[in-house]
Amino acid sequence: MPTNRLLVKEEIATYAATLLDAAVAEGGQERVIAVRDQLNQVLFAFRENGRIRENLSNSSLSAQQRYELAASVFEGCDPLAVSVLAVMAERGNLGELSAVIDAFVNAAENKLNVSIVDVVTAVALDDELRGIITEKLSKDLGKPVVLCETVDKSILGGIIMSTNGKRIDASISSKLEGTRALLKENNDGGEC
Amino acid sequence: MEAILPNAAETIPMLVAFIVLLIVLGKFGWPLLDGILVKRETAIRDDLKAAEEARIEAQKALEEYKKQLAEARAEANKIVAEAKKAGENVKADIQAKAQQEAAEMIEKAHNAIEAEKKAAVAELQGSVADLSVAVAAKFIGTDLSDEEHRAMIKRYVEEAGSFNAN
Repeated sequence: MPTNRLLVKEEIATYAATLLDAAVAEGGQERVIAVRDQLNQVLFAFRENGRIRENLSNSSLSAQQRYELAASVFEGCDPLAVSVLAVMAERGNLGELSAVIDAFVNAAENKLNVSIVDVVTAVALDDELRGIITEKLSKDLGKPVVLCETVDKSILGGIIMSTNGKRIDASISSKLEGTRALLKENNDGGEC
Repeated sequence: MEAILPNAAETIPMLVAFIVLLIVLGKFGWPLLDGILVKRETAIRDDLKAAEEARIEAQKALEEYKKQLAEARAEANKIVAEAKKAGENVKADIQAKAQQEAAEMIEKAHNAIEAEKKAAVAELQGSVADLSVAVAAKFIGTDLSDEEHRAMIKRYVEEAGSFNAN
């Protein structure tokens, strides 16, 4: 991996652009979203278990061995995502995966002229809600919106929306956490 | 009457012998005796003078001794007074220090008790807050239907702020 910041940035942009071109060519917007989701899952797995990335970045393995190891580890994923991950492992660039995903999403939004928004809810959205959310976010962000929906019952209710590092948390869990913090703060050190 | 009158035959030789003896003694004996007496007088006078000097010296020594004794007594009194004063100061210092330490210990104990009390109250209130939130979460998680959830999402989306506001 180059140490020069500009070279690193250029390399990240190259990974993102190559992947985006391939995804758009092979499946358009839906494929772009699918590749993004899978790369995010891989990134989450790396963060949850550092040994996966350590093994894939093991310098005692040859570049070819790292490529083959990554290809076998991510075998069930989208082939485009697998190919990029394998090349990054081969070149020892997996530490930049987060930056590559960000660059990929930015490039995809610009190329497709959309905003990709992650939406987390406790129950699945119906078409009416999708329409309401899409309309509100399109007005807010100034361009068409693509929703990436996730159902997570741990948020208890409400909705969490995030895009490009920005986040609107209107979930019940966060409201309860706020209430809990407020109760503890107000009562901290008080007299009985 | 005749018995008591001097016999000239006896008196005249005796008178001559007396005068000769008087002359001899006046010539040789008296100066010798006088020298002895003068020497004796001188010795006595010297002895008296020495005795007087010794007495004066002894008197001086006695006065010096009395003076030194008085000074020593005054010094001793001063030392005793200073020692007494120092002892009282030490006693006062020890008492003050002991009182200060006791006050500090009491204050620390008060502070510790107060801190523990506050910690206990905060912990209890924190537990109450946790329990309240857990109960609320349980009710919300189990009691709301999907439609109620969606209605809530709709309301929250309408009330939600802008990404550009973040």
